This record gives sequence, structure tokens and C-alpha cells, in this order.
Amino acid sequence: MRVLYAFGLLVLIAFLGSRFLFRRSKVLSPWSFLLLSGLLYILLGLLLGKVGLNILSPDVLRELTPLICLGLGWLGFLFGFQLEYRYLRRFPGKYLGLSLIQTVFIFLLTVLCTLPLLRVLFPQEAAFLLAGMAVAFGILWTIHSPSLINAAAGSLPNKGNYYYLARFITSISGFWGIVGLALLDSFWHYPFFKDQPLLYGILVFVGGTVLSVGMGFLFFALTKKRPPEKDLLVFLLGFVFFVSGAAFYFNIPPLYTGMVLGITFSNFTRLHEVIYPLLFSTEKNLYVVFLLLIGALWEFHLDVRIAALVLLLIVLRVAGEMLPLSAARRILRFPFALPPRFGLSFLSTGGVGIAFAVSVKMSFPLPLTDVFLTAALISILATELFSPLALRWSLLKLDRNQ
Amino acid sequence: MIFFAFLILPAGMYLFRSPLLAALSLPEQSTSLAFGFLLLFAFLGGEIIHRLKLPRITGFLLAGMICGPYILKLLKTSDVTDFQLFDGLALSLIALTAGGEMKIGEIRKRMRTISSLVLMQSVFIILGFLAIGFVLKPFIPFVSQMTDAQNTAVWLLLGTLATATSPSTTIAVINETGADGPMSDLVLTTAVFKDFFIIIFFAFALSFSRSLVGPGTSFDLGFLLRILRDIGGSLLIGLAVGLSIILYLRFIRRDITLFILGIAFFTYQISHHHGFHPLLICLLAGFLVENYSPHGDRLIQAIEKSSLPVYVIFFAISGASLDLNALREGWPLALLLVVWRGVLKFAGTYAGARINRENQDVRRFAWTGFISQAGVALGMAIMIERTFPEWGGMFKTIVLAVIAINQVIGPIFLQKMIYRAGEA
Repeated sequence: MRVLYAFGLLVLIAFLGSRFLFRRSKVLSPWSFLLLSGLLYILLGLLLGKVGLNILSPDVLRELTPLICLGLGWLGFLFGFQLEYRYLRRFPGKYLGLSLIQTVFIFLLTVLCTLPLLRVLFPQEAAFLLAGMAVAFGILWTIHSPSLINAAAGSLPNKGNYYYLARFITSISGFWGIVGLALLDSFWHYPFFKDQPLLYGILVFVGGTVLSVGMGFLFFALTKKRPPEKDLLVFLLGFVFFVSGAAFYFNIPPLYTGMVLGITFSNFTRLHEVIYPLLFSTEKNLYVVFLLLIGALWEFHLDVRIAALVLLLIVLRVAGEMLPLSAARRILRFPFALPPRFGLSFLSTGGVGIAFAVSVKMSFPLPLTDVFLTAALISILATELFSPLALRWSLLKLDRNQ
Repeated sequence: MIFFAFLILPAGMYLFRSPLLAALSLPEQSTSLAFGFLLLFAFLGGEIIHRLKLPRITGFLLAGMICGPYILKLLKTSDVTDFQLFDGLALSLIALTAGGEMKIGEIRKRMRTISSLVLMQSVFIILGFLAIGFVLKPFIPFVSQMTDAQNTAVWLLLGTLATATSPSTTIAVINETGADGPMSDLVLTTAVFKDFFIIIFFAFALSFSRSLVGPGTSFDLGFLLRILRDIGGSLLIGLAVGLSIILYLRFIRRDITLFILGIAFFTYQISHHHGFHPLLICLLAGFLVENYSPHGDRLIQAIEKSSLPVYVIFFAISGASLDLNALREGWPLALLLVVWRGVLKFAGTYAGARINRENQDVRRFAWTGFISQAGVALGMAIMIERTFPEWGGMFKTIVLAVIAINQVIGPIFLQKMIYRAGEA
């Protein structure tokens, strides 16, 4: 019965939350953005969870796990569905090059800087676990969110090159991040990561990809002759549940299988105008429930080690976004200047970053991943708080001067 | 492509569950996978069956049976138990729809027919079952050693159970076929009223049977009072839920589908937990919205928008939950009882319709709307098993077998009747 009341509470908050809190207009104020992005719900979830009121107790959360699984799969599908080749090819190839350079740079920088610190802070942990955690931080910081830039679009007078470049990079980077997560989950596969990791890694990654692509084709084939909207909803729910459930069953990220399903389906189907309203009508409520559950899952614990890690992560995030731009401009012969300040437009990681952190926690039920989740969520919250101001100093000024 | 998908999905599930891949999996995390599979497989099953000009619901049920714990075993019993949350949601939505379809004017006009159909069916079936009980007594092992009083108790309870129908199935078939006509309306309203009547009558029958079976056991008035309290409480809660929906539709009006889904889900879960009757609550709520506010159409639209996945899962779970072992053990007797029940349903409906001078279509075809059996009958069987543990297990096995057959053939009969009567 407790599960039921907890679930009721979640639905009620989701219902009220999606109606009131997503409607703030002052996007570039940090506090308003915290509300707009829904991050406040993580804190609310924390309050309802084990460290707070214990309404969403660990037992309750265990029973609501399929909801988290669906939430991750749904987010993945929504993200993948927007990666349409038709749309992406409109952007110059140099944009993709910049995104790759930035991703590789920030990944390497984060891994190389966090690994030594992790070894110092957690000397008792196995080396391969610490390496996995450093890789996870590296991948997390490659992720950006377009939601702040989209929300701030109204404040941009010109919407010139910088705006489109920022939108492209923030939209595509989630792809690299989610693929990286799938690779991490496959090659550090829990609980088999000690036995033949390479063989299992390849098997799990290829298997997850083939399954999702195959299901995407099947979804397309079954809906080729435009079905009624009601039938489409059944297919949509069924396929997302199936691939995210399969991912959960084999302990690979539902975010990844959902994304691959979304990409495959999106690039074949012509039902975008029907699917988008269906996805968006459920998005907000599902997202609020998802954030609350994440908050409740979070075993918050702050000590000097975590504080040091968070500090380093924030510095790396800022440096990683700013430093590679000048070099990338020279390598790619970019047609317009890329001042380091432009990198500050990409601080927000948004929902995909949070989903990433939770995926890691769910895939690796180890004490060390509680440290990862805490450090990751605090860093994400801090950068989210700071990102509207950073956007003002970067994209808004660059756009005005264009 | 639908056939291909219908074959490939279970093959995939079989592979996932096979020892080859099981070593790579976390078997305790299979609920989401099983849910996605069941939703797709049952929906495709419904589409295939629909091409054979049979109701989709039969396809959902058969798909559930095929992949359930007794045939392909792709779903475990624990998976089916985990899905019970959706059962409640679907039942509430079905009851809200049914209440929303009941127009007070129509009911007033046909109250006499409805009453006589309920009464005649009940009398025919209960007397018919008591009669056959005495004929069959020497041939059925678990009753052959009973006294006449005990045998009467068994067949009185079986007759009461046989009177019960599955209004949810009736409503779902009527919705699916888009049936609209006097006979469909009559069948729907009667099925719902009968359910209400049977719940009360069952309380009497159970108490009476206890006094017949147990030496020194008297008629349990307390038990009856508890039933009446539950029904009274349910009506009050239904009133509150109905008013909440009316107020929401009057003043807020946004995200109606989400609101209805939420209220349906929690009404079921909370009322069920506290011993009230969710079907009755939602039925009354829907009835109030339809007849005492101008928002009935909006309620039905909101339900229709999102109800299909819930119905697919509901009927697929019903199929997966049907005890096929019971059917295998007791099919000859079950088949005999199904046929006998069908004959009595026809006779009772014909007599009830004739008394009120209903037309030939109603007299000849309306009985087919009362064949399906599901949750109510099952719930009663479980109560009987608990009350009479010495023979309740055997009793339940027979009842489960009868329900399994009726639930598969019921929607088919009803759909044929709707087409024959030209109401779809």
C-alpha cells in the first residue's frame, strides 16, 4: 500500500509540477532556470527519499524500478527521434568536426585529471573500478543540453551562426555521451566485468545495438500504413518498454537502446507530426516523476573527498568547454571566430546528463557509484545554476556583436 | 508483417530466456521486458484475430494464454502478478465508460425489461443448476459423498456464479464494434445491473450455504451486513469521485486524460485495498458525470484517447491468468456446465424479454451478451474456496475451467450477435 501512496504522491506532484513550474518566463535567471529545467524535483525527491522523509523508501523504489526503466528508455527514444538525418545534414560538416573535437578533448581532460585524484581519495578501491568511474565522469562531461539555448532563443536578437552552432553542438553531444555510456556499461559489464570483459563487452554492445535497430525497423514496418493514433500509442509504448526492458534485463543502458530505437524509427517513418505530440504530451509528467525518483534514489552524503571531486569537475567542465575552441578553429578552418568565451554556452547538461548519472548508478549497484552519483549530481546542479549567467556572457554577447 | 512480428517477438523472448543468454542477464529485472512484450504480442494477436472477423479482445486473451505460464511460459507467474496494477486501472476505466454510457432516460424507459432480464436469468440459472446438481451427483467425485443439503449448497453457489457475467468484456466488445442500438444498450445496462445484483445475492447465498453445510452453523447476518456496508460505502465514494470529476471538468479542463487515468488508478487501488467495490464506484461516478453534468462526452473522449494500451494489457493478463491446468483436469464437466449455462441464459433471457414484449432480436440474441465471465466470478470462487476449504479447492478448479471457456467464447458470441442485430 505504501508503494501505492508513494506513487500517488509522485503523480500528484508531477501533475501539479508540469502545470505550474515549467512555465517560468525569466529563463536567464539562475533560479528560474532551475525551476524550468525541473532540477528542483531532484531536491524534492531527495526530501521524500531515504535520507529525508523516507516516503520513497528503498523498498518502494525497488517496486517502482520499471518506471525508472521506462523513463530512461522514453528519454532515450525522445532524444534519438530528434536525430533525423534529413535535419542534421543541413548543418555544415565543420560543426560535426567541432563537436567531435570538443567531445574528445573534454573526455580525455576529465579522465586524465579525475583518475589520479580518485586514486588518492579512494586508495582502497580496485584500480579497474576507479578507471571505470573516471571514464564515467569523462563521458558525463561530454554531454550538453539544448534546452537552455532553446529557451533563451527569444532573447537573442540575431540568431546567427553562433546560435545555430551552439544548438547543433548541444543537440548532438548527447549522442556521443549515450554511446559512451553503452560502451562503458558493456566493457565494465556488471556483474561479469571480471570475466572476459572484452568478449562480453562486444557481445553486449553489439547485441543491444542489433536488437534496437531491429525493433526500430519492425516498428517502422508495422506502422508503414499509417495506423490510427490509438494503435500508434500502443506500438510506441510497447516498443519503448520492450527495448528498455531488454536493456534492463541485460544490464545495458535503456537510454542507449531507446535512443537507437528512436534514431532508426525516425529516419524511416513519415509519422513525425503524429509522434511528436504523443511524445510531448507525456514528456513533462514523466520527466517530473523521473527526477523525483532520481532524487529519492540519491543517497546524499557530503564529505571532503566528494567536495574535492565536485570542485575539480566544475573546473574541468569550464576549462574543457573553453580551451579546445581556438585549436579546433585552426584545425577545421572555421569560417568565423570561436573565442573561448563561446564555450561557456555549453555548461548545461540537462536531463540527459542526469539520466546518464542515474544509469551508471543503476548499472553498477556498488558503494562507489553512490559517490559517483553524489559528485555528478552536485556538479550538474552547480553548473546548471551557473549556466544561465554563463550564457549571458557568451552566446548572448556574441550574438549581439554579430 | 503482423504475422511475422507475431512470430518473431515470442522467438526473441524465448531466446532471451534461454540458458544461452540467461547467463548474461539479471532475471529479477524482467518486469519491464515482459510488459513490453505482452503489450506488443497481445496487440498483434488482436489484429490477427480481427482479420478473421473475430473481436480483438479474443485475440488479446488468446495471446495472453499462449505466452502465459501454462503454454509457452514466456511470462512467469510473478510477471503476471506484477502487472496487477494495470488490471485495476483497466477495470476502473471500463466501469467509468460503462457509467458514462448509461443514460438515465433510457434506463427509466427500460427498467422493467432490465429487471425482468436479471430476475429471469437468475431464477432459470440457479434452479437449472440445482436440478442438474442432483442428476450429476453420483458422477462427480467430490459431491458424491455429500448429504443432499451439502450438495444443494454446492450447486446453489455454482448457480450464483454462473449467473455472473463480465460487464467489462461486454463493454469492451460493444466499444470495439462501435455498436449502437437498443439491444446493445439493453445488454450493456443489464450486464452492469446484474453484476450489482449478483454481488448482493452472493452474500445471501454464501451465508445460506454455510448454514446448510456446517452442522450448528447458523445464517451469518454479520457477514451480510459487512457486504451491505461495503456496497453503501462504495456508493458514497462513487458519489465523491463523480463530483470530483465534474468539478475538474467544469473548472480546470486541462490534461483531462491524465487526470482521468490518475483518478481511475487510485480509486481502484485504494477502494480495493479497503474492501470497497471499485467497479461500482467508477460506474456510479461515470453515471453521475453523464447524467448530472454536461461533460459526459468529454469524459468518454478522454478515456478513449488513452485506454487502448490499458485494455490490451488487461485482457492479455486475463488470458495469461486463466488456469489452463484446471481446464485440462476438469474440461468434460466444465464443458457440460458451459453448455448448460448457455441454454439457461438463453431461456432466462428469452422469458424475461418476452414478458416485456421486447422484439425478436432481443429475445433471440441478447443472451450472448451475458456469456463472458471474469473477475467477479473468479473473486467469488476464491471466497468460496476460503469459506469451505474441505471442497472449495475442487469447486474452484471447476469454476476456473468454466470461466476459461466462457471468457474465450463470450466475446465471439457477442460480436456475432451485434452484427446479426445490425447494430454495428
